[in-house]
Amino acid sequence: MADLRVAVDVGGTFTDICVFDESTQKMRVTKVPSTPDNPMEAVLNGVKRANIDLSQVELFSHGTTVATNALITRRFPKSAMVTTKGFRDVIEIRDGTKDDLWDAYSDVSGPYIRRRDRFEVTERVDYAGNIVTELDEDEARKLGRLLKKRGATTIAVCFINSYANSANEIRMREILTEELPEASISTSAEVLPEIFEHNRFNTTVANAVLGPLVSGYVEQLDSSLTDDGYAGELLLLHSGGGSMTSEMVKKFPVRLAASGIAAGAIAAQHVAEQCGYDNAVGLDMGGTSTDISLIADGELRETNEWEVEYGHPIVFPSIEVLTIGAGGGSLAHIDIAGSLRNGPQSAGADPGPVCYRRGGEEPTNTDANLWLNRLGTDLADGEMTLDRNSSQAAIKEKIAEPLGLDVDTAAESIVKVANANMADAVRLVSIRRGLDPRDFALIAFGGAGALHGADVARELNIPSVIVPPSPGVTSALGCLLVDIQHDLSQMFTGVADSADAESVEQHFRELELEGRDRLRHEKVPDEDAVFERGISMRYHGQWRSLQVKMGSGPNALREAVQLFHEEHEKQYAFRQDDTPVEIYQLHLKALGRTPKPTFKPTPVSSKDPGEPIEVRDVYFDGQWHSTPVYQRENLPSGAAFIGPAILNQIDSTTVIPPNSSAVIDEWFNIRIALNSEADEPALASASEKTTQNGL
Amino acid sequence: MTTTTEQSTSTLDPVTFEVLKNAFATSVDLMSEQILRTCYSFVIYSRDFSSALCDRYGNTVMQGSADIAVHVGTLHFQCKAVMEEFGDDINPGDVFLINDPYRGGTHFNDVSFIRPIFADDEIIGFAQNKGHWADIGGSVPGSFDVSASEHFGEGLRITPLRVWHKGRFLHDVAQLLVSNTRAPDQALGDLNAQAEATAVCEREVLRLVDKYSKDTVLDAMQETQDYVCRTVLAGLGDLPKGEWETVDFLDGDPAKGEGLAPIRVKLTLDGTGIHYDLTGSAEAVSTFLNSGYGTTFSAIYAGTKTFFPEVPLNSGFYQAVTAEIGEEGTVVNAGWPHAVTGFCSGPYEKVMNAIFELWSHIMPERAMACAFNLEYLLVGGHDARSESSPYFMWYDWMAGGWGGRSTKDGSSATSPVFGTGLAVQPVEGQERLTPVVTTQHSINIDSGGPGRFRGGCGVNKGGILTDATGAVMSYCCDRGRSTTWGINGGLPSIPHGVWLNPSSENPRYLGATFSNVAISPGDTFERPSAGGGGFGDPLERTTAEVLEDVIDGYVSIDRAAKDYGVVIREIDAELDEYEIDEAATGQERDRIRSARASWLEADPTEVARRYRDGEITVHDVIRQYGVVLDWGTGELLEKSTGQFRDSMRARSAAHWS
Repeated sequence: MADLRVAVDVGGTFTDICVFDESTQKMRVTKVPSTPDNPMEAVLNGVKRANIDLSQVELFSHGTTVATNALITRRFPKSAMVTTKGFRDVIEIRDGTKDDLWDAYSDVSGPYIRRRDRFEVTERVDYAGNIVTELDEDEARKLGRLLKKRGATTIAVCFINSYANSANEIRMREILTEELPEASISTSAEVLPEIFEHNRFNTTVANAVLGPLVSGYVEQLDSSLTDDGYAGELLLLHSGGGSMTSEMVKKFPVRLAASGIAAGAIAAQHVAEQCGYDNAVGLDMGGTSTDISLIADGELRETNEWEVEYGHPIVFPSIEVLTIGAGGGSLAHIDIAGSLRNGPQSAGADPGPVCYRRGGEEPTNTDANLWLNRLGTDLADGEMTLDRNSSQAAIKEKIAEPLGLDVDTAAESIVKVANANMADAVRLVSIRRGLDPRDFALIAFGGAGALHGADVARELNIPSVIVPPSPGVTSALGCLLVDIQHDLSQMFTGVADSADAESVEQHFRELELEGRDRLRHEKVPDEDAVFERGISMRYHGQWRSLQVKMGSGPNALREAVQLFHEEHEKQYAFRQDDTPVEIYQLHLKALGRTPKPTFKPTPVSSKDPGEPIEVRDVYFDGQWHSTPVYQRENLPSGAAFIGPAILNQIDSTTVIPPNSSAVIDEWFNIRIALNSEADEPALASASEKTTQNGL
Repeated sequence: MTTTTEQSTSTLDPVTFEVLKNAFATSVDLMSEQILRTCYSFVIYSRDFSSALCDRYGNTVMQGSADIAVHVGTLHFQCKAVMEEFGDDINPGDVFLINDPYRGGTHFNDVSFIRPIFADDEIIGFAQNKGHWADIGGSVPGSFDVSASEHFGEGLRITPLRVWHKGRFLHDVAQLLVSNTRAPDQALGDLNAQAEATAVCEREVLRLVDKYSKDTVLDAMQETQDYVCRTVLAGLGDLPKGEWETVDFLDGDPAKGEGLAPIRVKLTLDGTGIHYDLTGSAEAVSTFLNSGYGTTFSAIYAGTKTFFPEVPLNSGFYQAVTAEIGEEGTVVNAGWPHAVTGFCSGPYEKVMNAIFELWSHIMPERAMACAFNLEYLLVGGHDARSESSPYFMWYDWMAGGWGGRSTKDGSSATSPVFGTGLAVQPVEGQERLTPVVTTQHSINIDSGGPGRFRGGCGVNKGGILTDATGAVMSYCCDRGRSTTWGINGGLPSIPHGVWLNPSSENPRYLGATFSNVAISPGDTFERPSAGGGGFGDPLERTTAEVLEDVIDGYVSIDRAAKDYGVVIREIDAELDEYEIDEAATGQERDRIRSARASWLEADPTEVARRYRDGEITVHDVIRQYGVVLDWGTGELLEKSTGQFRDSMRARSAAHWS
């Protein structure tokens, strides 16, 4: 019986292998070092190390950074772009803007295909889709021969207005296929049938340059797994929070460009749902950065704006994740005007924080946490010992003395600035959407998330923090939780009130046909296929559109318009019922449901956490508190704590600060409840008393 | 706690200060986020807007991190104008509008919304959002009337005006405003969107008051400004003291005949701050290419900020950077009622580029030659593609090249220095909305000013008018004569200017500023944006770099020889195969080196004749001879040539070995 589900998440440092056994409903996790030069090595190593019998695996899903890394390092095969005469430079001119508005020496990187490899042909389609100039076939064929002579292995065909009529692009592809049968060819109207040439062209170009490499990787991995006995489809996680099979990756490799990013957010969504929260913030804090995701009404936010490097947009629905430069290794420093700053520079893994004693000299968040005793000196079950004295010396010299503070206050100041920066980032993603974080739960994970989670939540007036069972490998879990998913879209412009509902319906049905086609191609049985419609609309005259869900049937459009007004008011604080609403784009998610792990709750056994492994003085709010430390793996479900307390585990440390309480729930999540600030004084003394009594 | 005095001593602990400073930035960025998603003006959508939190005195505490440069240093003037006008009569729930360039504003299209923030019945600050409306009335669509010499026909001047009173929307006032624009619905949409954006900032600041107390927030507002001032002054510590000066030019004043109009900038570093002096600049010109005091200060701040990229923008910066801009009546301090709408293509970028040049002496590691000039082409008329023939506006601006730098080439096809976040529009969007079809949008070969590090490349954009009636075309640019210059021995790029029907038998050169030229369906038009000026002697550019540029088509084989003295032979262009003739290159470089100083002395009438006879090109005329012509007729512009040659002798020839 194939009852194992395997998820492999490749990160910068570690590759996590997550195995869920359906028969026991237990999950186990293995970590192996990543092998950036050949990522597949770590994947196969991990499978071996985790002792996985591939013939027993029902589903193997994989989040990979292969595509992202290729875009960063720009190791591309010999590529070419073919475009409409006069538009060879669209991907180089871009929209002209700079990321760094003020630094005249900081430039936007060059396009993915150099100018010498971009070619023009005579053809033209107008805005309405009329062919104004037929494709010059002689020219096209001559160009095909030239590209062959130049050794192009992958070609992007990007014609102006092809979203309105792709006939010329398709003909160009046919000619190129005849002249270069071995080359892979991406056409812009197929990759992204949307208006705006730079976004469509660049997405297509990214698809082209990734093609051979990414499909090669996926094919190789696929065949290795098959050779070792895996009988199912290899599922690759893509940016939209779904997966696709290796077969579709060959056609749309660019969809893997944000493969890894979505996993953590999906895991956070799962944890929130498990704990009964519709609204939650995911705080995934690692060594150098923090990924923030937002779950509202049970759903992750999506965005179409995504890029590996500024100026080179890859336009597909992506789970919205805000990454900021705040991690355990972020450096604290005093700036030129004498103000305390934290990050975004980071000590990284090498040299790492001062306490690693590998040559780091600037104090980091880790050093501050260590000095405050929130973090213990033993890391990863004693595999590494941290040097608290060197942290102290660095904080003293670099922060405390220049500011005229004692070391304790300085260390706490470092942590507070980091927390405030993270809180500001959360505010940016949440409050700007008109959402009140007080209704939210904060899901803290990643290596350092649980150290800071409670403080960040307090900064945001969020009352509840959840720390999942294995915070350091939570992302891998995300890979197990997704369906096969294709995000399709089509331009549709018209005023909603006068739009022909039947025509809208017809367009959706066409998208559904395409979606069903793709799913069948991926061997998804029809009964597992689900389609979700969405529609982008805007007030007449507005520039941005807002996507809302849409049903089917005669009233669907009218209901969607109502939803649009409501959503506009919710997100932007105003609605204009008298202004005509324009339809801009139709969206379809074609989902192929895949089996998910079912987690079994463990009945609450005892409130007693047992004996702490140690009691140490930990610094909170300007004073040292005697604080019990527990080993998390030993705790029963139901174990309850009054802060302060520290829970240690192999991949993370959870801080339960004063004025809060916590309980281990039936899923082995830690649920921290923060008392409101108004209650603080009374509860503070109470908590001290209880702590002293050992609960 | 007492109220803060001007020289506030820091009463805040470091954490509270850092947290509040960052929170102010967030409160402002939230405003920007909101407006970007709700605006109606495509100009705002293209990021021509800014947001600020001002303190209770009207000083700017924090400006948006992604704001357009051109608004920098004008928001506090506008806030103070509202305070002066309304005095004690400012209430919770009020929202004020202002666009008055004679009270520190930019131009009429830039409409500021200012909302007082109250805590305990006391004003603690103001939230402000300023955005560029696509049209604000006046005689020309888009409200850019190049021929205006006074403001009356340019558009609606909004002196400080109340549009919400104690939370009540003053419908009649708003109607008066929007009814004076060409697209009242759009204007009303932006009016709502901008007012709502300021409420987002207010909400955030009040949250901070709740959490940290009113007094702490007030202290932090002052301390954030002091912090910036300290940062700038500390940054001056290691820099030399002294005086540096330069002059840049507008193309001229049509009322005074040909001759470039000077803008003089002197910089003094004396250890107490950064001081500029603009006295001696030209009298106000008879076109709309003048600058009011607000935008001149803005140019000064934005130019300086380029050399202090990390420093947040607020009134603390304006304390450290001072300027004497001279009496009213000049191009840099035009005063009422001179037309100033074109300041952005006029004095603004001249002041910025002059400042770039001055600081290039002081911080050679951040040196940069001149960038292309901001330009707008407007085609307005009736769209005959639909029966109702609605009014359309094809309102187009281009990216261009920035100057060469001390370690690398200039940035190609980049937004203007006036606002590096200002996005050029997608052609496919324009074609849907207007009957103008773009025939090309591509990088312009040989547009980068030659240099050891060449200027970035400019862009060429061509269009054809299809189904339209009553169409007219206007252009707001400059540097058709005062061509984008190089420094440290680098050479100029190419002049700006629009050609009508360039491939026909009767091509017409319309120049770098003009308005209301009638055009008909089938007419084509084309214009380049300049590249950046070159940095350093082009004869010192490596032959390998020149060859790479030839392969990519940034530089032609012809100009590789003429501008760089690099002789390249084509073997098989289709396969990128070329070879450098090293011997010929050595000879050519020697020849240029010995002759080029004399080219700048060559008889300009003879140069003009050779241009008219097709013997030499505009590239030769400008780069080799430093001669300025009417590029359409080939007529010599003698006075301009003299001025331009002086500039080229100082910026280029003086650095040649």
